[in-house]
Amino acid sequence: MPVKRKTISSLTSWLFVLPALLVVVLLMLYPVTSSIFYSFTNKNLIKADFRMIGLDNYKAILTDNTFWTAFLTNLKWTAASLLGQLLIGFSAALALNRIKKGSGIYRTLLIIPWAFPSIVLAFSWKWILNGVSGFLPNLLVKLGICDTTPQFLSSAALAFPTLVFLNIWFGAPLMMVNILSALQTVPQDQYESARMDGASPLQSFVHITFPHIRMVVGLLVVLRTIWVFNSFDIIYLITGGGPGSITKTVPIYAYDTGWGMRMLGKSSAVTVLLLLSLLFICSMYFKLLNRWEKENA
Amino acid sequence: MKKRISVILMTAMLTAALAACSSGTGSGTSQSDAAASQADTAASVAADTSATAETTDAGETEQPAESELEGEITFWHSFTQGPRLENIQAAADAFMTDHPKVKINIETYSWGDFYTKWTTGLASGNVPDMSTARAGEVVEMINADAIIPLDDLIDSIGRDRFYESPIQEMTYTDGQCYAVPIYSHAYVMWYRKDLLEKYNLDVPKTWEEFNAAATAITEGENGEVYGCSVPMGTNDNYATSFLDVYVGSARESLLTQDRKPNLTSQTALDGIQFWVDMYHNNSPADSINFNTLDQATLYYQGKNAFDFNSGFHIGGVESNTPDLLDYIDCAPIPTPSGDGNPDYIVNNMPMVVWKNSEHPEICKAFIEYFYSPDRYIPFLHSVPVGMMPALKEITNDPAFLENDTIKKYQNAMETISNALSHGTYTAMEYGPCVEAGILANQRVIEGMFQDIVLNGTPVEDAAAAAEAQLLELFSAAE
Repeated sequence: MPVKRKTISSLTSWLFVLPALLVVVLLMLYPVTSSIFYSFTNKNLIKADFRMIGLDNYKAILTDNTFWTAFLTNLKWTAASLLGQLLIGFSAALALNRIKKGSGIYRTLLIIPWAFPSIVLAFSWKWILNGVSGFLPNLLVKLGICDTTPQFLSSAALAFPTLVFLNIWFGAPLMMVNILSALQTVPQDQYESARMDGASPLQSFVHITFPHIRMVVGLLVVLRTIWVFNSFDIIYLITGGGPGSITKTVPIYAYDTGWGMRMLGKSSAVTVLLLLSLLFICSMYFKLLNRWEKENA
Repeated sequence: MKKRISVILMTAMLTAALAACSSGTGSGTSQSDAAASQADTAASVAADTSATAETTDAGETEQPAESELEGEITFWHSFTQGPRLENIQAAADAFMTDHPKVKINIETYSWGDFYTKWTTGLASGNVPDMSTARAGEVVEMINADAIIPLDDLIDSIGRDRFYESPIQEMTYTDGQCYAVPIYSHAYVMWYRKDLLEKYNLDVPKTWEEFNAAATAITEGENGEVYGCSVPMGTNDNYATSFLDVYVGSARESLLTQDRKPNLTSQTALDGIQFWVDMYHNNSPADSINFNTLDQATLYYQGKNAFDFNSGFHIGGVESNTPDLLDYIDCAPIPTPSGDGNPDYIVNNMPMVVWKNSEHPEICKAFIEYFYSPDRYIPFLHSVPVGMMPALKEITNDPAFLENDTIKKYQNAMETISNALSHGTYTAMEYGPCVEAGILANQRVIEGMFQDIVLNGTPVEDAAAAAEAQLLELFSAAE
């Protein structure tokens, strides 16, 4: 009788979970499997008929210089954005952690970018940085800092750093809020003991702060890597991947291929390669996180 | 007991969920059956039409047949600006008042969004019953077997009432016309009269004169006004239009007669070099990323002396810098020699009815209703001079001409009217074809210009690479 009751209980639990599970599995499974399937076809966005073409799409992509340029840009974009976000987010969190009064106001002010849809942010920045009538370029000229209006979004030298700056501006507050929360969980008595033992602030940070928050930081880095590596909206809305292909990352390349050139099969192959790259990068991260977890245990 | 109840409840929920899923599948099946039922629907529409005709012949009013219209349709259009949007909505509201059993759901998308929306929606069957379109897209829609022929509607409105060239442009190789033009506009050369006067310049008739005038203004205005901004943004097809303006001025096409890209002809190479030089000498550096709106805004704000666009520029200047309204005008596109009529870029904006529609009869009735003068003229007046009538008799209709902007910009009206009779949509000089749509919409030419400007790629090499890329796209679309 207890066995039967246990079985029913287990079945009930599964039945309750099943609808959500079905939705999640189907929502994830369909796009992933359809992308993998189409990546082996010559599927055109607006044509019903298509045929299997084996690895032709992969061959075409891997021999396309534009793809490799986009991939390299993607790596630079992810590394620079992440590093900047982490440094600024970490520094801001450490500073706010020491502020006793008004830290809530600062926190709220810094998180404001997240309250706006990316299209609003993108168009606002596009307007601010416009090379003809933009507020910032004209201000720089009026202040005598520049002779001519700097072309933040159309100069080959400035477009990419500008986008990275915007991404850091956007992403750092999220890092800051999460790291600040983690910092507030560090037991204060450990700092007091360290201080009594004559530990320097740097030693306290290395031996107390960092070990306590590294799991949070690690997970944040994993999440932000995935988001930044895949980020599309801010780049597409501000520069569209241009000028030239200077800000073209792999997601923009995939979009241009699938929705611009309508080669959905080829575009699917790009997304599969993107997925594999991300899986590889994330597996590296998780390896490190597992090691830290074991050390903590 | 509680557990039993929860098991029963869960089973019921699951059954409901599965039922919902299966009903979704059912609807998918019915969508796939839609094509099969299309013939039946078409037949019933034809039957309705003939019934209406008979009733009319019998001397009765058309009202009974029209009142039979029943159903819900979705209408996608790209008239995002206020007055046009309001006019379309007013027409739909009035139509629904006359036909209480009809519901028209209007959804508005910008031109760029619309293209993405229909191309992606096609695969899932998520397309409207009727929509506006850009001329270059109609052939793509036909090629994708997405829209239905509208010859019966055109005949019902009166084929002779339409200008011939838009109808020809929307007639495919199978001899059927798949779209109904609602208005037309042409790219002409817009300029600032006050700046030409200030620098003692005549309206340029050749490209050489154009270059000289643009340079004089750029130098004289010292960065306050640009001679001619050259938009090269890859999120729009404006650079293609600029190149087409130049190539068309020599009465050549960006496509060869056998539908191959034609970017390496001497005229095309000259055109590419001309606009690259113009960019370096007379355009803001930022215009390398400009889309249509960025470019137009520069002219609206009085920061661009010359531009190539339609009569929509008047409304834009009126909204942004009304003080300049007395100083803008347009002229024919310059030509290499200054003689003869160029081939203009003409946009005949069409309405189409989608094959997936379950109520093509409502779509057709609404389109026909829209052409009644009391609906159509206010619609055209929502962008005076910008939207030229698709119906011949409206062009000289006193009610249409009785508009302050139309009266004020008589020269622009004449220039644009003349251009309309001497042009086609980009690369459609040899007739409508999918290749023209691809060439106009794939931003390959914009990429080519950026490559030349940013990487210093020689014009010949960049043009050859763009041709090769277009050829690949053409073959993928076959």
